[in-house]
Amino acid sequence: MDLLAQILINGILLGGLYAVMALGLALVWGVLNIVNLAHGAFIMLGAYVSWHLYTYAHIDPFLGLPITAVVMFVLGYALQRGLLNLVVRAPMFNTLLITFGLEVVLTYLAQLAFSADFRTINPSYAGDSIQFGAIVLPLARLMAFGVAIVLTVAMWLFLLHTRLGRAIRATAQNLVAARLYGVEPRHLYAVTFGIGIGLAGAAGGLYGTVSQINPYIGATLTAKSFAIAIIGGLDNPLGVIVGGLFLGIVESLTALYIGPTFADVASFGVLVLVLIVRPSGLLGKTA
Amino acid sequence: MKALQIPAVLIALIVLAAVPWFGSDVLVQFGINALLLAVLAQGWNIIGGYTGYASFGNSVFYGLGSYGVGIAMVQWELPFAVGLAFGVVLSVAFAILLGIPVLRLKGHYFAIATLALAQVMTAIVSNVKIAGQNIGLVLPPLNNDLLFYELALGLLVVATLTIYWLSRSRFGFGLIAIRENEEGAAVMGVNTTLYKVLAFALSGVFSALAGGIHAYWVTFIDPESAFDISLNVKMIIMAVFGGPGTVFGPIIGALSLSAISEFLSSEITSIAGLFFGVVVVAAVVLMPRGLADMLRRFRTTGWRYFAENIKATRL
Repeated sequence: MDLLAQILINGILLGGLYAVMALGLALVWGVLNIVNLAHGAFIMLGAYVSWHLYTYAHIDPFLGLPITAVVMFVLGYALQRGLLNLVVRAPMFNTLLITFGLEVVLTYLAQLAFSADFRTINPSYAGDSIQFGAIVLPLARLMAFGVAIVLTVAMWLFLLHTRLGRAIRATAQNLVAARLYGVEPRHLYAVTFGIGIGLAGAAGGLYGTVSQINPYIGATLTAKSFAIAIIGGLDNPLGVIVGGLFLGIVESLTALYIGPTFADVASFGVLVLVLIVRPSGLLGKTA
Repeated sequence: MKALQIPAVLIALIVLAAVPWFGSDVLVQFGINALLLAVLAQGWNIIGGYTGYASFGNSVFYGLGSYGVGIAMVQWELPFAVGLAFGVVLSVAFAILLGIPVLRLKGHYFAIATLALAQVMTAIVSNVKIAGQNIGLVLPPLNNDLLFYELALGLLVVATLTIYWLSRSRFGFGLIAIRENEEGAAVMGVNTTLYKVLAFALSGVFSALAGGIHAYWVTFIDPESAFDISLNVKMIIMAVFGGPGTVFGPIIGALSLSAISEFLSSEITSIAGLFFGVVVVAAVVLMPRGLADMLRRFRTTGWRYFAENIKATRL
């Protein structure tokens, strides 16, 4: 029983991190209709930004998150404005390809710049944990979980209640109508992509505190982010939390009861099943 | 134009077939790789180019073909041809069993579901005992590059003839109709489910054969390399770079990109991989309909061709 509870807790803590990883992907997908295959590569870059801040400037990874997010926002804004805006009206397949090309470029550049070695962000409290009876809560993971939930809820409130958030939602619903109401789409698309990439960067910073990073982690993280975005649906950022927690718990249970090598089978198996049974996501509206 | 085309293709074919007799070993080995990639690009062309379903699961067929040969030759000690047939059977079974539910999905969803299937297959094969788990299988070596080269070329010819047939048959028109407007095709009496599954399976047969030949040639397979998703992306890039939905586009794309990438990796190793990414990004922006379309239209429009492509898709 204690073991099961511990596994569930591990799954939930992992799930919070998964949620924030998928958040940016779901936003870009929902608003710009671009499935960003380079999303995982941006998470990886965010992790490296955090790692450099921590290693060379000795900035705590959690306090450094806003810097990481801003750096990644600028990168995302520039990429959308200079490159992706040129192809947003192309068939879906072309945007898929161009983001894949970006993922290859980013991975290679990261490998050239940062080498293929594994890196970890290890603040002094990395090994600490809180004990509740027989259940252990690792401090870094708990903090990452907390930040992830705060970010996701903040994103939800931002989309719901701010002027910019409303403009983003309006654009997602109807670009022409949004334009008539004074939304400048080139700028708004770039801001949205920038926010998505900024969130990916923050997710990367969190990821770096709980796991090892190298230039090749991107592809798997992209695939997982997809799974979560699809399970949760694209309508609502809170759906991403459900998707993340679901995937985290499924993976932890599979690793325990079936075997760690099957954890990925479970997550992608769930993804395929959800797609076939409910293409609009577990929480999404039925068409 | 049409009258010149057939002799030109035949001459190109004869030159290609003669390469092992006058070319160096390095050239022949490069040729085997490039020809197999061209087969993969042609295989993807059937489901992606003609039917309009962006499959990221063709590397699964490639992997099943590799493992068909590997398991038959190593575990059951059967001849190579039986292994190839076994791989094809596995692929067709996969295409039918998973194609029926997955081909109901459209657009991004289909692409992602097939991407996920590819990940699942890697993980499953790494846990299957008969497939050597994650260690892989070592096949009996056969040092006969000439044979592998001609096999790969023969397979490419068969694949291209199949696509030529597609471009002028009722079945092929049905696939194009599905690509252009699936509901419309269904209304016109195309059995869309059957057509899509057949196209998926046909595309899988060529990928599996290429995988089988490659496995016997390199004599070693493991789950990571056999089900490598970046291979799937390569075949898409080659097909799209050359011109998806055309008979010769994918071959031109595969051979030209292989040649450039080979040249770069011998000159400047570290940026060879980077090159692929940059080519993809540039190709999508500047020539989204492929090299074949560019060559056709460049003569009349000149440099404006690129500007017009950007204008057509920018925000």
